[in-house]
Amino acid sequence: MKTKVVLNFSPEAANTPITNNLIAKYRLLVNILRAEIDEIGGKMVLELSGKADDIRKGLDYLKASGVGVRPIKEGVRRDDEICTHCGVCVSICPTKALSLDTKTGKITFTEEKCVACGVCIDACPPRAMEILI
Amino acid sequence: MADGNAVVMTAEEFKQFVKANGIKKAAKDVDIVTTGTFGAMCSSGAYFNFGHADPPIKMQRIWLDGIPAYGGLAAVDAYLGATELDESNNMLHGGAHVIEDLVRGKAVRLRATAYGTDCYPRKEIDTYVSLKTVNQAVLMNVRNCYQNYAVATNSSSKTLYTYMGKLLPELGNATYSSAGELSPLLNDPYYRTIGIGTRIFLGGAQGFVIWEGTQFNPGVPRTETGVPKRPAGSLAVIGDLKQMSSEFVRGLTFTKYGTSLGLGIGIPIPILDEELAKSCAVTNDKIVTAIFDYSQPTRARTVVREVSYSELRSGEIAIKGRQVPTSSLSSLYKARQISESLKSQILKDRFSIENPVQNFSMDRVFKPLDVRTEKEAM
Repeated sequence: MKTKVVLNFSPEAANTPITNNLIAKYRLLVNILRAEIDEIGGKMVLELSGKADDIRKGLDYLKASGVGVRPIKEGVRRDDEICTHCGVCVSICPTKALSLDTKTGKITFTEEKCVACGVCIDACPPRAMEILI
Repeated sequence: MADGNAVVMTAEEFKQFVKANGIKKAAKDVDIVTTGTFGAMCSSGAYFNFGHADPPIKMQRIWLDGIPAYGGLAAVDAYLGATELDESNNMLHGGAHVIEDLVRGKAVRLRATAYGTDCYPRKEIDTYVSLKTVNQAVLMNVRNCYQNYAVATNSSSKTLYTYMGKLLPELGNATYSSAGELSPLLNDPYYRTIGIGTRIFLGGAQGFVIWEGTQFNPGVPRTETGVPKRPAGSLAVIGDLKQMSSEFVRGLTFTKYGTSLGLGIGIPIPILDEELAKSCAVTNDKIVTAIFDYSQPTRARTVVREVSYSELRSGEIAIKGRQVPTSSLSSLYKARQISESLKSQILKDRFSIENPVQNFSMDRVFKPLDVRTEKEAM
């Protein structure tokens, strides 16, 4: 099983080797999709692979360590009222989460593929994309 | 057509019809083909007449929601350009955004200053206006609806922020900007039915073509069927802003470049003869354009290669041995909506087809600007 999560942590938590613990204690494969840490804390986007039970325990461990855990779906949001379906975002999205459906002419946003990297945010001419992390 | 029996098809439907039934039958059976495009259309703007204050003012410097408008016309007329920015160069809210706000029915702050005259003694005003309060609000654009446009890519090692969008380094992506086979001027490549006086769909309302667009350049290389392979014709258009819809009038921001107006235009093409049926039968695989490397900061960029719109639409094109993902700046979804809307308006007799009062001159050329002496300019 695979899941993508957005982590928010305090400066104190930044000193705990949480990714190492996820790997060593919970036998998870950890793919760091994005990481930003500074003096006020940090954000990380991880893809976790492993047994469903291990993933659940790993996430419980993160929460118990004071790390904010959110599903990736809450990483980037598109405002469908604002989107004009031009498609500027399509070619810059590194994970192909945004694609042109030639049948409907609309731009499809597949949230499961999004890694919240944010390259689409300032590329969107009507500013329909918002990053929440 | 007035009897309500006109056969009207969108450009996409017409191409399917020709494929199934041939040109001769299409020319005989179909009366009108509707086209559409929605994209970033620079060289757009709106003029307003605000009405007179009491005591009256001859506005000299004018701002609409902080964006300077040009007032050197008379006392209370002003033109607001889509790409105009405020003094801090805030690109998230330019002239185009103010135009969208007005279309959405919002009130915007109007500030003006003046030197004061005997007949216009007032020296400043600070108030609010909306489309309800102004006398005229007219969208008048000097260059829209480009007939074909370039494809932009970037071979340099850094991201480029351009009017063609964000161009990733090392040929990371390529962007294009035409609705291809749905685009008005690509379906009537020699402007036989589109000229001065043509009634058009403009921003959700009805408008007119008023002139050739600036930079009109019909002499570029063309394909065997006459479709220009480079940016060629363009249109100057006009329409009542008060009738328009924010569905088709949008303020756009191109990061580190500036603002532009996202605008929907649709044009009906009457199928006068087989020649026009052939023109309107053109499909994306037969429309080509040129790829340019925007890391060359010159007006004389070299052509990387030519490419068809079906290749561009496929999502990837080959450039120098690499598969490069493509993006459109022009909305296929909205282009279709516009061609459909135009079709239904014509069928309901709510949109009449006008013959051009005058056709465009085919001898226009696109001249560069060089730094010259007064004598050289004469």
